[in-house]
Amino acid sequence: MHLFRLRHNFSVVILFMLLLSSSKSFSQYNTLWIPDTLTGPTFNLNIKDTFAQILPSGNQTITGGINGKFWGPTLIINKGDSVHMNVHNYLNDSTTLHWHGMHLPAVMDGGPHQVIPPGTTWKPYWKVTNDATTLWYHPHLHEMTEAQITKGIGGLIIVRDSIESALALPRTYGVDDIPIVLSDRKFSSNQFTVAPYGDSMMTNMTLRAKYTIPAQVVRLRILNGSVERSYNLGFSDGRKFYVIGSDGGLLSKTDSSLTRYLIHAGERVEILINCTGQSGSSFDLKAYNSTLAQNIAGGDVFPNGPFVNYLARKDFNVLHVVVGAQTSNAITKIPTALRTVTLLSASNSNITRALTIIDTTISGVTGAAFVLNHKVFDINYNNYTVPLDNTEIWQITSTSNFGHPFHIHDVEFNILSVGGVAPVASQAGWKDVVFVPSKTTVKFIAKFDDFADTAHPFMYHCHIALHEDEGMMGQFIVKNTSSLPLNLLSFTASYNNATVSLKWSAANQINTKYFTVERSGDDIKWATITTVNATSLPGTNTYSITDAAPLYGINYYRLKVTDEDGKFTFSKIQSLEKSGESFQFNVYPNPAKSKLYFSFKDPSYEIYYMKVVNHLGKVVYMLPRPQLQSGLDISGLSKGAYFIQVTDDKTKKTVTKEFIVN
Amino acid sequence: MMKRGIAFIVCLILFVLTGNCQSEKKVADFNLLNIDSKYVSLKDYPHAKGFMIVFTSNHCPFAKLYPERLNLLNTKYTPLGIPVIAISSTDTVSYEEDNYELMVAKATNEHFNFPYLYDGSQSVAKDFAAQRTPHAFLIWKENDSWTIKYNGAIDDNGAHPELVQKHYLSDAVDALLARKKISPKETRSIGCQIYFRK
Repeated sequence: MHLFRLRHNFSVVILFMLLLSSSKSFSQYNTLWIPDTLTGPTFNLNIKDTFAQILPSGNQTITGGINGKFWGPTLIINKGDSVHMNVHNYLNDSTTLHWHGMHLPAVMDGGPHQVIPPGTTWKPYWKVTNDATTLWYHPHLHEMTEAQITKGIGGLIIVRDSIESALALPRTYGVDDIPIVLSDRKFSSNQFTVAPYGDSMMTNMTLRAKYTIPAQVVRLRILNGSVERSYNLGFSDGRKFYVIGSDGGLLSKTDSSLTRYLIHAGERVEILINCTGQSGSSFDLKAYNSTLAQNIAGGDVFPNGPFVNYLARKDFNVLHVVVGAQTSNAITKIPTALRTVTLLSASNSNITRALTIIDTTISGVTGAAFVLNHKVFDINYNNYTVPLDNTEIWQITSTSNFGHPFHIHDVEFNILSVGGVAPVASQAGWKDVVFVPSKTTVKFIAKFDDFADTAHPFMYHCHIALHEDEGMMGQFIVKNTSSLPLNLLSFTASYNNATVSLKWSAANQINTKYFTVERSGDDIKWATITTVNATSLPGTNTYSITDAAPLYGINYYRLKVTDEDGKFTFSKIQSLEKSGESFQFNVYPNPAKSKLYFSFKDPSYEIYYMKVVNHLGKVVYMLPRPQLQSGLDISGLSKGAYFIQVTDDKTKKTVTKEFIVN
Repeated sequence: MMKRGIAFIVCLILFVLTGNCQSEKKVADFNLLNIDSKYVSLKDYPHAKGFMIVFTSNHCPFAKLYPERLNLLNTKYTPLGIPVIAISSTDTVSYEEDNYELMVAKATNEHFNFPYLYDGSQSVAKDFAAQRTPHAFLIWKENDSWTIKYNGAIDDNGAHPELVQKHYLSDAVDALLARKKISPKETRSIGCQIYFRK
């Protein structure tokens, strides 16, 4: 675990120091650290400030770690599992934890809106719907992302599924399935400097890493976890490698015989190398960055400032690989067919959202070096409302003099084109980061299904942490919304004491068969109240009905208009709220010891968010959409008075109750 | 006014000579609760020439490395008129491990031979501009007020006291006692950022 711990052996220290002073090209390797794994369904993740002996001599480096000294465990998750996260923030600052690439509700996503204060536990959960792939998790606190990632806070997520498991692929973690996290650091007096680029390559947080792999087919799951640098990967012996997966999962077939792969910040790639029969040999995985253009991160050579770095536009080692003995049951052949990848069709898109990346030096926008659509990110401004289930083309045009890796939350997408050209095979599967080269337009297509939430947005941003921190970011909500391409002249809803009166008038409804009146409490799930047959007369007809039992709080109504041929359309949504009414609940027993139970006046009631706050005002638990069927576990709370703040799903209003733990 | 005028002239001369004029920061006396339930102020030590004020905490892994060294510093320098005073300014709302009862327990269990004061309002940390735990300040009595002579790390190796090469804090004390120039006067304090309650 503690690879960096210096042995208490003075002669070893002297040796290290001599090696350090004698040469810049170190011959001394450190064994690649392989993060521990955690399996679910419950994951306890404790984010801490800690320290590690990273440089061979001198003081320890203050780091950030999850459950350990640096970086975090690799979470092994199966598609279809419901996972529950207990994320506790022991840092000396607020943070967030974002599940990069995971398709989940926005309120569970860990973006800049789900701030975890120091000393607080955040408990998101979700059902995993992603295909088998390599994802990761990292802090996403606005303006602090670069600093907190530089500390080393983050971790990998390996999603498994039945299709991937049925393939003859290496999957023994740390043996023939090796996690490779690329990052670089700059040291000042042995401490990390928060800077775009480092002078030292760290692979899995290991300086000058080496690893012994078996003489067979070996899978490398590579994450570019750097805050800015791109890596043009290849092998020192010129060997060919095989790409099997990108950000969002396996490709349809192996992309064979590559010698270089350019990976940008935030991206993942899974590659195979075949070392069968090569026991005893060694070679290096290298970044061939001397060939990078000036407008790609890591190829830029600025004369001064924070961008100066030792690795800029150089070739350097990422991992020294030694081939050992073959294991039993070794995979020795590279598979060709992988899985069926059904790409989204551009013809299913009904909108193209055009974004432009600009250099602010050109446009006059202040506060950031680069921005999207001439706007610096404003956390209180929603840039887009995406209709639930919509399939959309996003078109990112860079007028910038620099290339930017663009990332979007919520979805995995298919790249349609880069500069008008279809993506290369290794980029033609599922992605959540796409590199937008300087002066180029990139198009991708995505379907925004499953998760609507009008309160919490998803983010899109440049994955260069400095750019994102400065405001090269935007946000969108996914909303269940409907259009009204029919001849409704009016549709109104109003309270009449305890009932709701609904009235509408329509013209030219000769083809209309009937109207279905639908009601919702949350604008997401709809239920039928009644159906009304259309009057088959030309001209204008008016209709009215009464909803005798409206829901508490907000009621949403819409009309589903079904034609003679069975086709239907929806009206605009009408919403109304009964003033003075709020949801009501009680907690029991009170005082309580280990479990707290809830009773709601309305059994259909749903909680959007719950916070448990102690008597000093500290948030102890943050509980998005808590599952309370078997009560709330409060066994971890010390004795005393607490407040429970419950935010209603429909109205987003918050009611507070007090309870005692004894 | 007179003193300020002189200070300005000294500063001006220094600036002309060296291109540098770092005026030394003064800090105010305080009155904080010690782990023995008594309040401690600097004025309680009429014979002290100065103090090694160390902002530390219970919870910070890096701060946990130093109590034994603080005991040694206190033993060595108290007879010379420069005792150690440790202060915890941690926000105890966020970090329950740093509450007063647990400070008492830690100081007792680890045999602190120096005061360990509870700065619950964080006002002393703000006055010193303490940034991390541990963050050491050497303050010196000058004209009945307290001037910061050194601030930063205690030494240059947290986990391995046997490998320390620079004893920044005690070197600064030794220099002052020998009426020599302190170098360096400031280093980077290393440890956990002090989270100031908003």
